[in-house]
Amino acid sequence: MKSAVKKFKGLSDKAIAWIFIAPTLILLLAINIYPLIYAIRMSFTNFYANKIGREVKFVGLKNYKKILGKEEIWEKMQITAHFVCWTLVIQALIGLGLALLLNKKFKGNELLTTLIVLPMMLSPAVVGVFWTYLYNPQVGLFNYVVNFFYDFGIFDMIGSSTLAPWSIVIVDTWMWTPFTMLICLAGLRSIPNYLYEAAEVDRASKWQQFIHITLPSVLPFLLLALLFRGIENFKMFDLVAELTSGGPGSATELASINLKREAFEKWKTGYSSAFAVILFVTIFGFGNVYVKVMNKIKDR
Amino acid sequence: MKKILSVFLVPVFALLFSLNAKSESLTLGWAAWDPANALQELSKEFTAETGVEMNFEFVPWPNFAERMLNELNNQGKTFDLLIGDSQWIGQGAEYGHYVKLNDFFDANGISMDDFNPATVYAYSTWPKGSPNYYALPAMGDALAWAYRKDWFDRPELQAEFKGKHGYDLGVPKTWDELYDMCTFFQGREIDGQVRYGAAINTERGSEGITMGVTAAMYAWGMQYENPDKAYDMDGYFNSDASVEAVEFYRKMYEDCAPPGHSDAYMVANLDAYKSGQVAFQMNWYAFWPGVSKEDSDGRVSGFFANPCQNVCAATLGGQGISVVKYSDKQDLALEYMKWFAKPDIQQKWWDLGGYSCHMDVLGSPDFVDSAVYAQGFLDSMGIVKDFWQEPTFVELMLPMQERIHDYVVNGKGSAKEALDKIIDDWTEVFEDDGKI
Repeated sequence: MKSAVKKFKGLSDKAIAWIFIAPTLILLLAINIYPLIYAIRMSFTNFYANKIGREVKFVGLKNYKKILGKEEIWEKMQITAHFVCWTLVIQALIGLGLALLLNKKFKGNELLTTLIVLPMMLSPAVVGVFWTYLYNPQVGLFNYVVNFFYDFGIFDMIGSSTLAPWSIVIVDTWMWTPFTMLICLAGLRSIPNYLYEAAEVDRASKWQQFIHITLPSVLPFLLLALLFRGIENFKMFDLVAELTSGGPGSATELASINLKREAFEKWKTGYSSAFAVILFVTIFGFGNVYVKVMNKIKDR
Repeated sequence: MKKILSVFLVPVFALLFSLNAKSESLTLGWAAWDPANALQELSKEFTAETGVEMNFEFVPWPNFAERMLNELNNQGKTFDLLIGDSQWIGQGAEYGHYVKLNDFFDANGISMDDFNPATVYAYSTWPKGSPNYYALPAMGDALAWAYRKDWFDRPELQAEFKGKHGYDLGVPKTWDELYDMCTFFQGREIDGQVRYGAAINTERGSEGITMGVTAAMYAWGMQYENPDKAYDMDGYFNSDASVEAVEFYRKMYEDCAPPGHSDAYMVANLDAYKSGQVAFQMNWYAFWPGVSKEDSDGRVSGFFANPCQNVCAATLGGQGISVVKYSDKQDLALEYMKWFAKPDIQQKWWDLGGYSCHMDVLGSPDFVDSAVYAQGFLDSMGIVKDFWQEPTFVELMLPMQERIHDYVVNGKGSAKEALDKIIDDWTEVFEDDGKI
């Protein structure tokens, strides 16, 4: 024991730091970096995981060319972009609105916050399944509520190509707006009161206070929430798979659903690795640009 | 201390050894549906005879292919026996997932001549029609129809239908008649409730809409390829008749399906029918024993084989039972198969609600009267056609699912465009597989 302590004492601070970091680093390398490098390697081959014994050939950039030249892949990317953009816009507006509301002190504030946050705690697959019932045109609650306000008659949210893309936006918004709200609420509560007091002294209107104090203060928080939601929704799979299976036709087939079909149903391992790399680079690229913009806003 | 240890450890080890000694068991994988429960019941007899415990893993249909094929591709040992879909036979044989059964059949006097030829061709052979057997026909099945006979028997509805269409309301002989009847019931109020025409297959994720639309396409005379030139599909799969059939299926969906029936397969069709929403349901024979049993609550169901149009044909369902190559208990699994192939066991299988393919059962004089759907089953098994059974069948199935769903449910493009695109997709798959 003594010798161990002695040995430990002999180590530099840097060495001790490495000892503590090493397990995490090894795990990171084993479960993130190695699979990534392996997937990149496979993306240049014609490998099929289900065709045992078939010769694996190096095909260069063929998989990448095939994917980027395929009209249908671009359609899936458009569907994904529609989903990501609209969910972000709507969740930002509603999330911020709810946060502003809950930042006021009123009776039942805490209970309301808990209730609003509940959907976020559910499993996306479960949410997908029960919303299929809510959307049922004959007995679904959603259709009943909509028809209560205006009589549209029988309409099929997940069976119609025009409504289905919106059906997934609605469910994601229902589930994840509380997340945006919570982050914004944290931002709102960090604004010091003296700023508003000073604004009152200067006779600033409520709207001016919102534009010049609230919004700039909460914006970095909101942008951070949107970054998380953007990355998550770009990879969205479980909720949409359960809700629409990518249908009707391919109206809600997000890039991730298509990737899963290519990789684990058709077993086109090489091709789908290339697709996964493309998606990774896309998210990584957008993420980096976004973080830079966010930092600029924060620095202002 | 030693004494205390021995008091506790000896019984524990004794229990473990006794469990180990009793551990002769087999695991069989199949889809989770009524016939699987019947097989579980039947297999108790095998356990009683041999002492071999039977374990079952039944996977819901939407995940069945994915779960089982992943298991085979990973050379998993979970299953000793697998009742796999007919389309898997090519993959099972070519990739070496299934044990070839010829020597076993010869050694045990099991003759494929004792089984219905259509089922042997579809469930057992690879290459197709060759005397190379990789499965024993286990569960004969085809896509068929059930209808609300109690509604059809109402005089006022019969008179109204005859007045409108000039022929009797009854079992439709053609798809045109089926359409007339479906639209007749669509939106009609019966006993104070709004009813709809037909619950047809529209499922997008696995195989549902393909199984449904091919029921129409086969009846219109569709062929997958040039009979004289393998994989030559242009002009066959996308022939005018095929296009017409797909357009007809879309018409059926638009004019006959209940609202919200846009992603429906076996269970959804069954639910729509059981809840009294629809006059017709498209489904597999496997479900008819259950539907028939429920007639006791006042509903009367009739059953009929897929209607003809230009020709008479039906979509093949059903499965063969195979021994998994990666199992450590192949001998025991073959014993089960030998037991299952016995004519008396096959008779019990039919009696319990399974669809035997054994000629002793199907050819028995009592067979036709043994169930209301028995004649339809016999008729159907004589006209069945199956999807590609190539090793790449999943890669062939998925584009068809997407293209057909896109046209039929989504209304995107035309039927001809959908079929042309499917041919393009299939050509790519066959080229990639070295078949073209």
